[in-house]
Amino acid sequence: MFPSWPMRFHHTPRGSSKSGEESTDSGSAVHALSSRGEGSRLELESPVGRKASSSSDHHQMIDQMHHLQIPQQLEVASASNSPRTGISQPQLARPTSEKRRGAGSNSERMLDAKTLRRLAQNREAAKKSRLRKKAYVQQLESSRIRLSQLEQDLQRARSQGFFMGGGGGAGGNISSGAAIFDMEYARWLEDDHKHMTEIRTALQAHLSDGDLRVILDGYITHYDEIFRLKGVAAKSDVFHLITGMWTTPAERCFLWMGGFRPSELVKMLTAQLDPLTEQQVMGIYNLQRSTEQAEGALSQGLEQLQQSLTDTIASGSVNDSMHHMAVALGKLTNLEGFVRQADNLRQQTLHQLHRVLTVRQAARCFLVIGEYYGRLRALSSLWASRPRETFIGDDILCQATTDLQMVQQSSQNHFSNF
Amino acid sequence: MHYHAESYGNYNASTVRQNAAVDPLERVVRLASGSAVVIFSLSTCCMCHAVKRLFCGMGVNPTVYELDLDPRGKELERALMRLLGDGSAVPVVFIGGKLVGAMDRVMASHINGTLVPLLKEAGALWL
Repeated sequence: MFPSWPMRFHHTPRGSSKSGEESTDSGSAVHALSSRGEGSRLELESPVGRKASSSSDHHQMIDQMHHLQIPQQLEVASASNSPRTGISQPQLARPTSEKRRGAGSNSERMLDAKTLRRLAQNREAAKKSRLRKKAYVQQLESSRIRLSQLEQDLQRARSQGFFMGGGGGAGGNISSGAAIFDMEYARWLEDDHKHMTEIRTALQAHLSDGDLRVILDGYITHYDEIFRLKGVAAKSDVFHLITGMWTTPAERCFLWMGGFRPSELVKMLTAQLDPLTEQQVMGIYNLQRSTEQAEGALSQGLEQLQQSLTDTIASGSVNDSMHHMAVALGKLTNLEGFVRQADNLRQQTLHQLHRVLTVRQAARCFLVIGEYYGRLRALSSLWASRPRETFIGDDILCQATTDLQMVQQSSQNHFSNF
Repeated sequence: MHYHAESYGNYNASTVRQNAAVDPLERVVRLASGSAVVIFSLSTCCMCHAVKRLFCGMGVNPTVYELDLDPRGKELERALMRLLGDGSAVPVVFIGGKLVGAMDRVMASHINGTLVPLLKEAGALWL
């Protein structure tokens, strides 16, 4: 990048990063020096002590001044000559290196046309080099800022339990009902985390069934709350719920009618809930069947709604299109009913689990549910921050790997109960 | 599924006189007692379609009254709305002559395991 960067006697490391940026500053500084004449008013300070306006070219002047110590009177004379001829400051950069290399006939060189041309080319090369360096440094600075912002975002997401609400990012066109719900949901997730910690502690402390029941009832009420909030949100923005914009991408992948599929949840739990009594096995089996039947019925109802909607939108000539639009709007209002019934199904499923299982089993069961969705949200977060392009570099790769290890560790701790 | 459209077909004079005198709510109750599983519905309502699919999926054969196809269906709708105290009049389900309720109540009773015994008791479901 800087192949022709000449040597500096008093060039400090700090100076090297500043010099590129201050090359434009140096112009004014050295012009000032030039205008003062033969440099007799140059300050003989070390570059380290110089303030921000110092530059490589200023260093050049110092170097040249230090050459005063070396018995090369001719160099001093030629250095002085340059300001007087009124040539701009970059010229001062070159003469020093030139002089260092070829010590003898400088006074003749100053008049040689070929030399002048070469000096001009060198000036241009040095100028381009300085500009390239400046651009590169600016690019590095902005990348550094971007990286620290990424790290901050990741830190924040991690502390919020990997909540990656998609609603806010979608072009900014989010309805107020949806925005309010997203905020309430974020708060609900924080409460969820607290409830889970409370249950985990209670299980590990081997509290009595009575005490555990109180804690568990609190958790059920907590779930009732989110279904109530979703009901309110469905009235103002059913599309926000039904498209899953309030959840993370991985959760959205498994979305059924604006939330989790109850039969899938029961299926997932069946493996985790051993050992069960005969009666409990029957209870869970019946719950799985009834949720499947209910889901099937609702899905068929929604299908009919979609078919009806398609027919309305597709039919009609240009003349009565407004009428058909009004009819279609009317049909759309039925969506809210389906999301409400689906949420009702989810709520009833959780309540039934609470009924079928013992207090201890139910506590563990709800922990499993919370853990499962926590991991799903974490998956979304990791997926979003995975390294995709090589130029990002090993730093982020290491960071993402560290995150993965942290998630694994925390998950292992959580699941140690089962 | 049995669809009853009392407006068409088998009307005789005595039936008409009977129906004319009956208060809508009484008519609802009378109709509901007529079969093991009775669903009051609207032919265009998708949620009604869902509840019908639910029962058919369980092997039940409900009797369905499409109120939009009944000349006095509007009265029945209003009566049902007053009965439920809720926004939508349909779908409403009666089992064994007793009111179960709208879709959410039907779903809840299926999930908590009370629907199947009720159906068996009414003779709508065996095994």
